Amino acid sequence: MKRGLITWDISEIQPAAFEQRLQNIRRVMSENQVPCIVVYSDVWRSNSARFLSNYMPYFNRALLIIPSDQHVTLLCGLSPRAYGWIRSVSPIEDVRPAGNYAQTLMQMATERRWTRIGILDFPQFPYDLNQSIQSLPIEIVKVGGLPPFSDDTELSMRRKAASMARSLLAAEIPLGVGCSGEELIGRLERRSRRAGAGDLITLVTNGRSTPGAATGHRLDENFSVSIALEYRGHWVRVSRAHGVDFSSQLLLENQANSIVENLSGSYPYECVQRSELREDSIFAVHIERQIGAKRLFYGDSFLLGPSGPELL
Amino acid sequence: MINSQRKQQLLKAMVESGWDALILYGHSWRKDYFRSLVNFNFFGPHAIATLTRSGEIFILVSHPWDKETLSKSVDANVQYTSDFRNGFLEISSKFKIARVAIAGLELMEARFVDGPAVSATNLVEALRKIKTAEEIDALRRAAQLADLGYQHFVKTIEVGMAEFELAAEVESFLKTRGAGDNFMLIGSGGVEVYGMRPPTHRHFQIGDNVTTELSPQIDGYYSQICRTLVMGNPSEKQLRSFEIFREAQQAAEDFLKPGVNVADVARVQNDVFRREGFGEYTGSKYTRVRGHNLGLHPDENPYLLEDVDSIVEKGMVLIAHPNTYLPLSGYMVFGDTLVVTENGCKRLGQTEKKLFIKEV
Repeated sequence: MKRGLITWDISEIQPAAFEQRLQNIRRVMSENQVPCIVVYSDVWRSNSARFLSNYMPYFNRALLIIPSDQHVTLLCGLSPRAYGWIRSVSPIEDVRPAGNYAQTLMQMATERRWTRIGILDFPQFPYDLNQSIQSLPIEIVKVGGLPPFSDDTELSMRRKAASMARSLLAAEIPLGVGCSGEELIGRLERRSRRAGAGDLITLVTNGRSTPGAATGHRLDENFSVSIALEYRGHWVRVSRAHGVDFSSQLLLENQANSIVENLSGSYPYECVQRSELREDSIFAVHIERQIGAKRLFYGDSFLLGPSGPELL
Repeated sequence: MINSQRKQQLLKAMVESGWDALILYGHSWRKDYFRSLVNFNFFGPHAIATLTRSGEIFILVSHPWDKETLSKSVDANVQYTSDFRNGFLEISSKFKIARVAIAGLELMEARFVDGPAVSATNLVEALRKIKTAEEIDALRRAAQLADLGYQHFVKTIEVGMAEFELAAEVESFLKTRGAGDNFMLIGSGGVEVYGMRPPTHRHFQIGDNVTTELSPQIDGYYSQICRTLVMGNPSEKQLRSFEIFREAQQAAEDFLKPGVNVADVARVQNDVFRREGFGEYTGSKYTRVRGHNLGLHPDENPYLLEDVDSIVEKGMVLIAHPNTYLPLSGYMVFGDTLVVTENGCKRLGQTEKKLFIKEV
């Protein structure tokens, strides 16, 4: 389900955190000499806009417009009937309808006499939106290559998500032998969503393949589960096997068969080479171990800190 | 896993359009173009299937676990890359001198596209609009699960429960029974409620209208059901309001058949509201659409709106849902998944067509 509970709890993320984040992005504007920065968001690629505004679409696309000297505006594909809800889950007050995003963006630029606009990660925009914005009679400054969005609040939320994911698997995996993959997934859904998770994607394997969608088979000893869990827009990845303990240290050794996923990009997770990670990146590593005839999987989420990886 | 009937349709369309290769792109939110040929629920975030005129299929995925699963289960050349842009450009360069079109082009990251590109999105969407027998079977099973899911919704809801707790129970129920996904919205309260959205912390109260849209997915295909429930005894206004929705939805069901225009399927629903003096509540200020097609995406074209021009054909599967705000009782929803038959349409689900009441 994309998505379940979306909320803004100011005891977790104080308004000042968003103000500080906007201040930081306004410094980027100043360096690039642009009067605003445009940030793309959709159901699946909401990390950047979520960091800056707590807005996470449950459907459709959105553009977050951050001017250097005015309040933030959300151009939104949802009905105005949803604007009250949007304002209740984010500090955004100015929400505008955008059937045609490029046209609405141009209208705003004209009203505010902007002759150039900064766009975050413009080459990664959906092709149609990229092309329609590119055809606007305005100078576009591509803003990219920024360090991963990170601060203490972000790390605290990611740690909370990681802790939730680990507890979830620790509680449910011991009960999984003899269940079907679907039954286990159902239990994980119930427990995680009742604890406030916004989304959960679960892959399982009985040890004869890599983790994948459940296939109706009963789970034997030494099955593995790999989850992507979203807590209030903060994604983590954790994999665990039944009946076998691994050390998280194993994940950090440069193993040939390990999989590294970047969790700091625009997607919730995306495979990368280890060498592509930068300081402050949130990432996950998954490894595979053969025990007897079984293939077991283990993985967790980390921060790449100044002195190396730290388990979240 | 390969939709062989769709593959033949795509090959024929390629010949007619003069394309040597057709690329079907999917990402985690919109897997539908990819899955219309290769019905595999990839972990993601990207996947493409390239179909050549000779019928060969080349698949590129962005997670190694997807590669292993797919390689074992499909007769195609499957590759994995952690650098999807370069992987995609390499595939494109293979067909450098050929004419290539992309379904889902509009959804792709712009940096994946090197130079001018031809979109096959509308063509593939038009083919997908008419379901194969196998697809209708998947949609029927999804509709049966939606029935069970709504029964569970009614059984589980109670005064004092939070919306997100109910959503957790329903999600768990559906996934336990094999749903690969579920698109669900909810709303609760009274005349102050203008629509549905994701679940919140709000606790159900006596007298609430509780609206929901459940869209469980089976084998990639989403069915949908919309129902309204009242916590406790419904008021006269709630009963009157529901009767309008019931009649509007029935009007669509009675009217729907091959050859009619979707604009008229919307109009017959709106006419019921107009006749009752609520015509202004059929516009975009209070509602979105009067229904839409269903399939590998829970919100497919065409939309049922009076300004959409599209002819209904046998084999289409859609939901007619006259969901809107009325001042009588706030936002209300009511709708069922329908398959268009030779002479009319049939409901794929069996949930009673009534205003549900939860005794409190």
